[in-house]
Amino acid sequence: MSTPSSSRRHFVRNAAGTTAFLLLAGHDFRARALAATALSDKPQFFTPEEIRFLNAACDCIYPHDDLGPSATELGVPVFIDRQMNTPYGRGELWYMTGPFREGPANLGYQLPFAPRDLYRKGIAGADHYARSARGKVFADLDTHDQIEILTAFEGGAVHFPDLNARLFFEQLRRNTLEGVFADPIYGGNRNMEGWALLAFPGARADFMDWVNQEGAAYPFAPVSISGQKA
Amino acid sequence: MTLKRTDVVIIGAGWAGAILAKEMREAGRSVVMLERGPERSTATEGTYPGSIDELRGAIRHRLFQNPAKTTVTIRNTVNQTALPYRQLAAFLPGEGVGGAGLHWSGVHFRAAPDDLRLRSHVIDRYGAKFIPEGMNLQDYGVTYEELEPFFDKAEKVFGTSGEAYRVNGQIVGNGNVFAPSRSDKFPLPAMQDVYTASLFRKAASEAGYHPYSLPAANASMQYTNTYGLQMGPCNFCGYCSGYDCYMYSKASPNINILPSLRYDSDFTLITDAHVLKINLDSDRRKATGVTYLDQRENRETTIEADLVILAAFQFHNVHLMLLSGIGRPYDPISNTGVVGRNFVYQTITTSRAWLSENQFTNQFVGAGGAGVAVDDFNSDNFDHGPLGFVGGSPIWVNQAGVKPIAAALNGGGKSAPRWGAGYKAGLVDTYRHSLAMDAHGSNMAYRDVYLDLDPTWHDSYGQPLLRMTFTWKENDIRMNQYVVGKIEPIMKALGARRYELGRLEHGEAFDTRRYQTTHLGGGAVMGTNPNESALNRYLQSWDVSNVFVIGSNAFPQGMGYNPTGMVAALAYWAAYHIRTTYLTQPGPLVTL
Amino acid sequence: MMPFPRTGFRLLAAFGFILATQASAQTSSQKDLLEKGRYLAAAADCSACHTHDATAPYGGGNPFRLPIGTLYAPNITPDIQHGIGSYTETDFSNALRRGIGKNGKPLYPAMPFPSYARMTDADIHALWIYFHDGVAPIARSAPDNAIHWPLSMRWPMTLWRWAFAPTPKAAQANAKRDFPSDEIARGAYLVEGPGHCGACHTPRALTMQEKALSSDEGDAFLSSGAAVDGWTPVNLRQDDRTGLGRWSENDIVAFLATGRSKKGSAFGGMSDAIEHGTQYLSTADLHAIARYLKTSLPARKHEKPWHANPAIAQTLREGRLPNAGSRIYIDRCAACHRTDGHGYAPAFPPLAGNPTLMDKDPGSLILIVLRGATVVPTQKAPSALTMPGFGHVLNDQEVADVVTFIRQSWGNSGSTVTAADVHDFRNRNAEWINTPPPKPFN
Repeated sequence: MSTPSSSRRHFVRNAAGTTAFLLLAGHDFRARALAATALSDKPQFFTPEEIRFLNAACDCIYPHDDLGPSATELGVPVFIDRQMNTPYGRGELWYMTGPFREGPANLGYQLPFAPRDLYRKGIAGADHYARSARGKVFADLDTHDQIEILTAFEGGAVHFPDLNARLFFEQLRRNTLEGVFADPIYGGNRNMEGWALLAFPGARADFMDWVNQEGAAYPFAPVSISGQKA
Repeated sequence: MTLKRTDVVIIGAGWAGAILAKEMREAGRSVVMLERGPERSTATEGTYPGSIDELRGAIRHRLFQNPAKTTVTIRNTVNQTALPYRQLAAFLPGEGVGGAGLHWSGVHFRAAPDDLRLRSHVIDRYGAKFIPEGMNLQDYGVTYEELEPFFDKAEKVFGTSGEAYRVNGQIVGNGNVFAPSRSDKFPLPAMQDVYTASLFRKAASEAGYHPYSLPAANASMQYTNTYGLQMGPCNFCGYCSGYDCYMYSKASPNINILPSLRYDSDFTLITDAHVLKINLDSDRRKATGVTYLDQRENRETTIEADLVILAAFQFHNVHLMLLSGIGRPYDPISNTGVVGRNFVYQTITTSRAWLSENQFTNQFVGAGGAGVAVDDFNSDNFDHGPLGFVGGSPIWVNQAGVKPIAAALNGGGKSAPRWGAGYKAGLVDTYRHSLAMDAHGSNMAYRDVYLDLDPTWHDSYGQPLLRMTFTWKENDIRMNQYVVGKIEPIMKALGARRYELGRLEHGEAFDTRRYQTTHLGGGAVMGTNPNESALNRYLQSWDVSNVFVIGSNAFPQGMGYNPTGMVAALAYWAAYHIRTTYLTQPGPLVTL
Repeated sequence: MMPFPRTGFRLLAAFGFILATQASAQTSSQKDLLEKGRYLAAAADCSACHTHDATAPYGGGNPFRLPIGTLYAPNITPDIQHGIGSYTETDFSNALRRGIGKNGKPLYPAMPFPSYARMTDADIHALWIYFHDGVAPIARSAPDNAIHWPLSMRWPMTLWRWAFAPTPKAAQANAKRDFPSDEIARGAYLVEGPGHCGACHTPRALTMQEKALSSDEGDAFLSSGAAVDGWTPVNLRQDDRTGLGRWSENDIVAFLATGRSKKGSAFGGMSDAIEHGTQYLSTADLHAIARYLKTSLPARKHEKPWHANPAIAQTLREGRLPNAGSRIYIDRCAACHRTDGHGYAPAFPPLAGNPTLMDKDPGSLILIVLRGATVVPTQKAPSALTMPGFGHVLNDQEVADVVTFIRQSWGNSGSTVTAADVHDFRNRNAEWINTPPPKPFN
């Protein structure tokens, strides 16, 4: 039983022959929604130095090439920055109760660090490693050196003071790819160019007429949750 | 609202709980249902387009249990220290109204008759010595014939789409030739084949196998179910697994059962209610009710009830039995006790074919339950005699809608770069032109694979975590390798440009970091011998007769099929016997 | 806001139990009378206005917010002090059929007494018994009406009543006019009398009286009324495009019983009427209503019959998007309503051929696009299927484009809607657009 019978009790208002009294100007709701989500590049969590690292490292993982823009061009560092201030970034989606003990890799992550801690410690560790091994912080190295360093991290042989560099690399790779391919409302995947690469149609979510196209490509360009069109 | 007493208290608002709630209300009993997580409705968070968001959904686990509050510890062998499962990955239990039944895919199988009496069947066909040392092979204690009316009932509630092969002994259609006879056809016709499934159907036929449409609880047409509740038709949007269906077309407790109870004054659903334990009387033979933590008020509340239905997720059921002292905990050393015994999972490996560059596989098109499968190497549909292992796997193309983040994390196959130069090209080729097929197989029970309480770690309520001791065993690895070998002729018939076969390797340990399936089973199994099962064949605790434990915890071993159809049938089966026998004469339904 | 608060249901059920106990002590004829009254209260949809708090049925308090002030529907429970417990049956009858409250105070014409005037003495008696003996007294008064002088004076209402409201005698005589069958006569009685369908579905004159109160008063009767809360009540006559001409008797019955049919789903104020009223009517009465509605003539003689045109669906399937509206339709609407506009009725209603969408007033369509809609859950169809609103996703131009596309595709014919129209509509209806729609558990 619905509480206030919303429509019919207002009938009398119309019966009294009145005109509207609520006048609101400007209802470009989508523009408002977009404005709210249009993220400035100004970092909220990372320091400028950390952002320099992210710009360089994310572009090694997802570079600009003839297939399309790089991670930075797609807004991925902004995406990662914003993720740090979410429950995920704060480690609230992980079991973070001690004791913390090391174990075999296949039993999974066992450190007391939330993603934001992993970045803080990982970037510091990476820059320290770059300076020691190549004489400059990571962002100041040329791309070739950067790739070699990330390859070393991925290989598992480099240890930062608090964690193996591989864990940091995997965190960075994961979040970089998330930023390339998540809906643009999260700051990455600008202009849906991540989706365009894959011909992924985004938030349309209806393929009834295209269930089996006998191998033809799906015809329409992507649309985002907030209504961005490619 | 403080509730002191009810006829029936149900723990968990997933499929098992919703079915029992409906049945108990039909029997005229007042029901209080306790759900640990929040309310979930299609009209709010399930609504389009907000629900069509991969990051918030499958990646950040919108509908999954948050391990920050409670999780499990895992080790591979008894002499290891189990460590907490800190990040969800290998399996994804649900949380909130609907449970895992809200974010499941929708594959809706019955059980194979042989699988329900696997021990007897293996002994009959291959002899007792065929069963490897240390394997706890058991019968369910219930037959396919006994369960058939309840499989049928569940399909009509779920609005299951499929094509029958045999109805009342007569061949009626192009369904699974290995499937047992049914009393009725599926309520809805089979889902359409997506492009990749149609290719698989053809190639599997050419390879000499017997393809059939997966039975799907994704509605192929709009449907009104047994309870007068409506489903929309599935439009292959691909947001099934990990999501709530904005089209109302994937069956869930939220859409297919609970709306018929919401306005019933003798049904009360309390959300954010974490059950701490089932209370027992002084001689521990009867439950008096349950105590839960109201997570909004941070207050413990006790409800008294005549009947307690434990219908949480598989391992939560086992956990609550251990915490409450219902049944004797299993000890693998002395091989005594039953609660925690026969903990099982499923084997699953994925193989991939790359087609020509003018074949677009459009993998984002899909439905969680739809696809084409072959059962030629499932169950005991093939001669195991010369092979020397127990179990089997269906093989299928189940294109459930591949989203870009998941695709990107998987990348372009074993030979492609994981990042950097060449990564994009491999990803694009794989996303646009490949198709995946799975061997989704059985997992047997073993003496040293089990559940118990962890000695070290606790949940946020101060209770010990459940500990899983689990790894892959040689029998199951050999089974997987054999079945994956049978995928190769399909790959050849597909005309794949290249293909990769995914399989378990000898000695491979269970890896908690990689998603496999959420099809955990056993730990409080049903059976006919109280020394080998925690529950009798009606899913009633042998020890505390007013506690019924409904879920895949009752499976003595993991079958090749997805578990939800079996869970639903067991729920209706148990409910039927509660209604017809237990309620008029409370007490053990089986006396020895 | 949940439309079905759990506590409300619990109390209502307890209340029902008390009533049942009381009823068992009564003679069967009293019980029958009380049940008849309960049935008529549903048919007359009394609770739509007089139940504000579901835990206090008929306790009144529903606010009618007007620019001139706020009116509150009164408590009509048998509470002596706060309700109508001191009313005699004559007082009760005068209020219902003449719009005159106890002590001669005229009622604001929100009360549909011009329609209730047709009700028989026997039905008024049954209603009286129900509201006297079958409803629990609620000791709570609606707030005093806050109407500013001079409109707080009720005497202008008296003049209005003399001018336009039929006397019960005249109305009851009219109700006894000739009909093709008893069944159609019954349908006419329900529609024109207790159902007061014309209150919303019949256009009103400048002086606010309905232009016709019964089918014999001309084609204006039920030919669509002025917008209520942004929703435009549809034409219930037999017009092919913009009326119920293509709705079968069974479509109408299904719609009134369950809130949904093969031809369309209820929205706006009709959801309330179904929820509180028509779903409780007997199948025989629903058929009577449908048959009666099918006897009407079209109001708009020039309308060409609607025929499905498959061209646009084919174009979309071929991957072509001929205009901006089609692009939005493919992105946001086709999932449920399909490229061919047929929807998946009765789950998701058809847009092709739907009379609501071809109305000259596109208001209902705009409001649904902006705010979304939920099919009302009913006893026979408990699923509260919900369409999301797109007001936060689409701007005025996009709403105009997609609304125009829907009004002009698949054989539909409706005028073009511009961004300015949508802007204007948003201004005029901000209150309804921004009222969160009900969020059912489904």
